[in-house]
Amino acid sequence: TLGKKIKENKMSNLVEEYFEAHSSSKVLTSDRTLQKLQKRRLNQQTLHDLLKKAPLAYAAEIKELNQQHESLFSKWMLQLHLGFNIVLYGLGSKRDLLEKFRTSMLQDSVHLVVNGYFPSITVRSILNSITEEVLEHIGTFRSPLDQLEFIVKRFKEDSSLELYVLIHNLDSQMLRGERSQQILAQLSSLPSIYLIASIDHINAPLMWDQAKLSLYNWLWYETTTFSPYVEETSYENSLLIQQSGSLALSSLTHVLRSLTLNARGIFRLLAQYQLENKDNPSYPGLSFQDFYQQCREAFLVNSDLTLRAQLTEFRDHKLIRTKRGADGVEYLLIPVDDSTLTDFLEKEDEDA
Amino acid sequence: QQIQEDLSKQLFDNLVSFLRRSHSEFQEKTTEWTCRMKSKEIPTAALVLGVNVTDHDLTFRSLSEVLQNNITPYIALLEAKDCPGIKNLMQKLMGQLMNCYVDVDSLEDEDYVQVSQNRVRCSMTSLINWYKSVTKKTDSETPRKKRTSSSRHWQSPPVVVIFRDMESFTTKVLQDFIVISSQRIHELPLVLIFGIATSPMIIHSLLPHSVSSLLCIELFQSISSKDHLSTLIDKLLLTAQFPFKLGEKVLQVLINIFLYHDFSIQNFIKGFQLCIVEHFYSQPLSVLCCRLVDAKKRVDSLSHNQCENIRRLPSFRRYVESQVSEKQIALLTTDSYLKEIIQKLLEDLHVYHENYVSVLRCLHVFTSSLPKYPLGKQIRELHCACLEDQVWETEEYESSLQLARMLNKSDLVTMLQQCVEIFVSSSGKEFDKTVEKLKEFLTQFQKLEAEAFQEQDVSVSSQKELQKKTDLYHLQKTLLELKESRRSKKLTKFEMLRFEVVDYIDSLVRNYLVPADHKTLHEIVYFNTASVLREHLNAAPRIALHTALNNPYWYLKNQALKSDGGTISNKAPDICIAYKLHLECGRLINLVDWLEAFSTVVMAVEGPNADAASSDQVDDIIHARFIRAVSELELLGFIKPSKQKTDHVARLTWGGC
Repeated sequence: TLGKKIKENKMSNLVEEYFEAHSSSKVLTSDRTLQKLQKRRLNQQTLHDLLKKAPLAYAAEIKELNQQHESLFSKWMLQLHLGFNIVLYGLGSKRDLLEKFRTSMLQDSVHLVVNGYFPSITVRSILNSITEEVLEHIGTFRSPLDQLEFIVKRFKEDSSLELYVLIHNLDSQMLRGERSQQILAQLSSLPSIYLIASIDHINAPLMWDQAKLSLYNWLWYETTTFSPYVEETSYENSLLIQQSGSLALSSLTHVLRSLTLNARGIFRLLAQYQLENKDNPSYPGLSFQDFYQQCREAFLVNSDLTLRAQLTEFRDHKLIRTKRGADGVEYLLIPVDDSTLTDFLEKEDEDA
Repeated sequence: QQIQEDLSKQLFDNLVSFLRRSHSEFQEKTTEWTCRMKSKEIPTAALVLGVNVTDHDLTFRSLSEVLQNNITPYIALLEAKDCPGIKNLMQKLMGQLMNCYVDVDSLEDEDYVQVSQNRVRCSMTSLINWYKSVTKKTDSETPRKKRTSSSRHWQSPPVVVIFRDMESFTTKVLQDFIVISSQRIHELPLVLIFGIATSPMIIHSLLPHSVSSLLCIELFQSISSKDHLSTLIDKLLLTAQFPFKLGEKVLQVLINIFLYHDFSIQNFIKGFQLCIVEHFYSQPLSVLCCRLVDAKKRVDSLSHNQCENIRRLPSFRRYVESQVSEKQIALLTTDSYLKEIIQKLLEDLHVYHENYVSVLRCLHVFTSSLPKYPLGKQIRELHCACLEDQVWETEEYESSLQLARMLNKSDLVTMLQQCVEIFVSSSGKEFDKTVEKLKEFLTQFQKLEAEAFQEQDVSVSSQKELQKKTDLYHLQKTLLELKESRRSKKLTKFEMLRFEVVDYIDSLVRNYLVPADHKTLHEIVYFNTASVLREHLNAAPRIALHTALNNPYWYLKNQALKSDGGTISNKAPDICIAYKLHLECGRLINLVDWLEAFSTVVMAVEGPNADAASSDQVDDIIHARFIRAVSELELLGFIKPSKQKTDHVARLTWGGC
């Protein structure tokens, strides 16, 4: 009973801590900002260079840790073949470890590496690479579900097909959605697909419910490596780094999600128009007047002024760019490459 | 590895057949009911299946199989994830029905292929047309065809639609489907089956009255998964059939995961599988974990190294120490002698298991009827208790024996009869004597019945005596006498016998229920590393992160990192320092302050050897390191950028972690 009491105490402490942290809406922090700091903001490249100069601490110990994990490789292989899938957790990047696993164990078998941390990755691209490169099927599918069905069928028919799938950061922004996880889980439940994945986020297990967990059939392995997340964080747009110009799909969806329904509709309209004209090299963009007319017809704005306000907001987030044409008319463009835009629209359709 | 595959296959077959059997009754009821139903409303069966969603797969699969064999070829199984809208639902439904039909009759009609490819135009009308054409076809087919189909199915077989997970369907889709199909029920005899995980109330909360009035619902309850578990344990662990056994701690972990987390049989089986894999992978002597005949052969072919492994087993060492010295030397040096002994020991172990199971069941018969269940209600609890330690030394066992000594006769007799049955059916040879003894007890009890009347007379006479005396003094005297006599009165024959029986059971327990740890060579068949199981099945990623960030010494064995209590040394990796500093903040963190604190800590380490000239350079590097640490923390989900105040981040955790 003593242990129980202690546990209870701990529990109530945790609860109290939560309410303590969230009790007052007033925040007591100083008002200093980075602007006032006498320092230029670093950009991605200089940051990388600087970090290269800083020596990695405790290299020997980290190496030892890695060796410990590497001794498990053959065991993993056995367990993968017995129908389990493996998930790695723990502090530190597990990229090199998985890479090593790949080079040492999977040299002569068909395998697929998915870089989950890559901000423009989608489930569709994973499925595409399976159908196109592994199954050598040419053709398109209406929906990811159809594609999945096709894959399942092929793998069930042909028992000689085997595929190892390595996913770095299964819990990344793009893959953590319910539907993507559902599809990946179903994929991993196929007996001839062996999945080995890594997770980093503290709340990553929240994305799996009972059904998905049983499909995944995870075996958990703690692989704390302490190695820095070089690749993984290079896409994470930190506050402290100067933003690079191009927009990524993830940030695009992120910003759009926080907008009102009408604002999203406006952006969508523009995106669709731009995609329709993507083959036209001389397309200058949509003029403001035309755009206003279209938005009005779709009941998205009711006055010239609201549309201008909305566009200003887009411009602040670098979602659109305006250009003055030869005739002095304002033209609107989305400074994102077409494939990202297509992906974005597709994703919007799915969510809707 | 080969053995292991065999073993797991055997295990799986056993499981599947068992699950089938347990479902079959339930299914029969459903099928019977499906045959019976015919009314204007849509007949609906609601199957309440319990929260262990993962196990339902097998249920539905076998249900549709049974239905297919007995009633109708038209079955569609719909899952919520395939049906976000009514259009998808209809597509899926038609696709499955047509495929079903083709499957059953193996008809290679081009019509159907065409239709199934053309799934875009799936509507109720086309479904009905298809149904009509199919039924017509079966009506007007060749005699052979007709005979087969009509003997198995009726003239117009119902179309069964199974909704696998009722809770996760969108309400609108479900309602629309029901309304649409209810309008055409005359043309298309439809039967719906809902799989419900929670309670039947969900039907009424999902469907409004206008829709649910179109259904004619009957409720079916499946067996609870706890009962499944008991049978599973009974079949898997409490038999001598499987050579592989689970240790107490491992079993405890598995049961705990089951009872406190998910109620899922599948996960339990998965855990069991993992145990098998782990055991055969890590324990070099697990080659001997097989049937006795095979094991003996394998002992003969053991290499010298393997013999050494055996000598190294702790249980074997204990055995050696209990032998006389010449024998010890022989055991430790001569391989051939060792092999001989091993064979004998393995045989012992085998016999022990056989006896163990029947005695355990016997004891369970006794303890499970006692009030308050001191040793547990289920046999698995008893099994755990027996594995854990010598059961007769526990308090619970003591109290249960005491309670057993107060049992009345009819209970005792039935229990004894059950025990006899158990022993008779058990394969162990040693129980002939036991059975005899128990039977003897039984006959004695029968004899006692006659004597019982006599006893009653005695007590009655004493009562009479009491009534006769009216004198106060005499009354007191007789009362005292009576008391005296009662105190010194010998126990009745029944009581004597009862004690004897209980003592006998006690002795049985002492002889046969020795915990497995005390047996020699138990390492070969028992898997006892519970920590492995807990790590791989029930992992705690947050705890791992917390320890790594809070106490890096745990992983990186460097003396510089060693520190006591809550503090952290300033030589720790950057991310640990940043984490530690962020723990001290409230809900929002000012980046500038954080950076400054970070650089103070880091500078303190580098301070002595950093000269003033390159301080700007050092500053930049520290800045970069800070950025890296912060973005790593963001990746890990400890903080996120906040818009509430400029250059602030919000903490997403609270307290220590």
